[in-house]
Amino acid sequence: MTVQIAAKADATQAAREVAVRASHVSMDFGSGALAVDDASFELEKGRFLTILGPSGSGKTTLLRMIAGFQKQTAGEITINGKAVDAAPPHRRSVGMVFQKLALFPHMTAAENVAFPLKMRRFNPRQIAGRVDQFLDLVKLGGYGDRRINELSGGQQQRVAIARALVFEPDLLLLDEPLAALDVKLREEMQLEFRRIQHELGVTTINVTHDQREALVVSDNVIVMDGGRIQQQADPVALYRAPANPFVAGFLGLSSFVEGTATADGNLKVGDLVVQGTAARRFETGAPVVAAIRAEQIRLAGTREALAACDMTLEGRVCDTIFEGERQMYVVEIGALCGATFRVYHHDPDSFGLFRVGDPVALGWNRRDLKIFSPAA
Amino acid sequence: MTARSQRILFWALVWFCILILSVPTVIVVGASFTTANMISFPPEGFTLKWYGKIALARDLQQAFVRSLIVSTVCLIASVPVGTLAGLALSRFKLRFANAIQIYLLLPFTVPLIGSGIGMMLVFGEWRVLGSLWPVGVALAVINLPFIIWSVSSSAGALDGDLELAASSCGAGRFETFWFVTLPGVMPGVITGGLLMFVLAMSEFLVSLLLTDARTVTLPVQIYNNIRSIITPDLAAVSSVFVVIALLAVWLLDRLVGLEIFLKSK
Repeated sequence: MTVQIAAKADATQAAREVAVRASHVSMDFGSGALAVDDASFELEKGRFLTILGPSGSGKTTLLRMIAGFQKQTAGEITINGKAVDAAPPHRRSVGMVFQKLALFPHMTAAENVAFPLKMRRFNPRQIAGRVDQFLDLVKLGGYGDRRINELSGGQQQRVAIARALVFEPDLLLLDEPLAALDVKLREEMQLEFRRIQHELGVTTINVTHDQREALVVSDNVIVMDGGRIQQQADPVALYRAPANPFVAGFLGLSSFVEGTATADGNLKVGDLVVQGTAARRFETGAPVVAAIRAEQIRLAGTREALAACDMTLEGRVCDTIFEGERQMYVVEIGALCGATFRVYHHDPDSFGLFRVGDPVALGWNRRDLKIFSPAA
Repeated sequence: MTARSQRILFWALVWFCILILSVPTVIVVGASFTTANMISFPPEGFTLKWYGKIALARDLQQAFVRSLIVSTVCLIASVPVGTLAGLALSRFKLRFANAIQIYLLLPFTVPLIGSGIGMMLVFGEWRVLGSLWPVGVALAVINLPFIIWSVSSSAGALDGDLELAASSCGAGRFETFWFVTLPGVMPGVITGGLLMFVLAMSEFLVSLLLTDARTVTLPVQIYNNIRSIITPDLAAVSSVFVVIALLAVWLLDRLVGLEIFLKSK
């Protein structure tokens, strides 16, 4: 634990320096919409950035441009202050872990890890020691002589990480290497990535469509959709203050209500004014959409039981879903033109407190209902 | 139909195919042990004297050595060409890739007698007929599609990210080719190479057109001998051929595993 904390302190000190900067980067494959559309971001040295988005959002294309496998059609990418746009991948100091790992099948684990050292002309006498050191780092000490197909999925992941890091690159790229693993192994490897990244302090960019992974491993998250960067923030800020309805819907489970803006910054649905928080001022009567997370809604049998909430409404249960550690209720609110809300309910004493058709009351605090302009 | 009668039909069919495929080999190998002076099956008695005879026959021996030389020339010529062509066809998005593919497969569509006469004319013009190497080169040309197919199917099964991974490890284009791509398609190269060797060993028609008394190869020599009288020593020679082919298959199995050869992916 102490090692990790020390390394983290180092990382914070070095955080002033920018390791990766993308300015107005676009990629046009000539198929109509841009694969990446005017993406700009900065990543400080030693930080762990995750690019999060659904498939087809342009996240992998952005990563491949940083690696040098594809050249952007507009914009500039710098690594450690140097523009790399003209440099082919093997002239960049970038290690990469591929989605399908791309380990060399005709080499042993140790030969795979030694390959970048040989290609980058490291002193041949130091290679063996360094390979051992990095196999130890990924907890594969003693497995060096195994062939790739003799290793388990998790062990292959570790070889791929060691190969990407062994030459101490300026930047580590992870192209969804965990996507194919089962949940248990994936969560274990997420923590491993984080441990190794903290231990070495290497600047890392990770690409994933797994929102949980993004929140767990990252110092910083970029959410992409349709080739555009939707928001860049640290995980807590991203989760608590989504910038638009897409981010609100992509992270966590949100319910949406459409309506119009009122003069005092609330939401009007039909004749009912719903209290919420708007990120910016809207013109009175402008169409807006509000989002609230499933765990920020309180659920009870009567409105009186929710007196502590800023806003309470009556509704009717239209579905209940048992998720193991909690129950999810889908509640229809007649006063909001039949809008439905999804609510998580943790009840340590009994599950299934309410049944389909039961009248219930919902309550929330106004800061938790976010009001946005509707998605384009 | 019941499962039982289905199974009987299935096995009957399988055994019929195995029988049809192996009959020529069984007859030839069997006939090579006959004690009679004419080729006959089933063999009369058992003797190894025909093997002794071919071991002493200088014309057969020399033809065998020439066939080995021709096959080696064919191997040396076809492996680099076939490997590069096979890789190029499957790895790069070439313009006119289809046209090139058809062009490279042309030797299959031209009847052997046609390409044989064509090459006879070309080599005659160059005044190289009478040496062994043109025969090897000619066999490399007519059988080239085999190694191209073998290599490109191997390359097609290769993960495209391997080459990107090599470049992110710091390997330039040549290093990537040498350390990653080439070892990756090596099963296809070995398979194709062995195939080329065995095919060159047993090729008859084009060899017949391109050889003369000084350069006659083993299949042509056997044909020349048959024209006078079919003696059991020719069955013995054919049996040696069978053994060489089996040896090649065994080698293939040891080097790359037969399953790669059998499943064309």
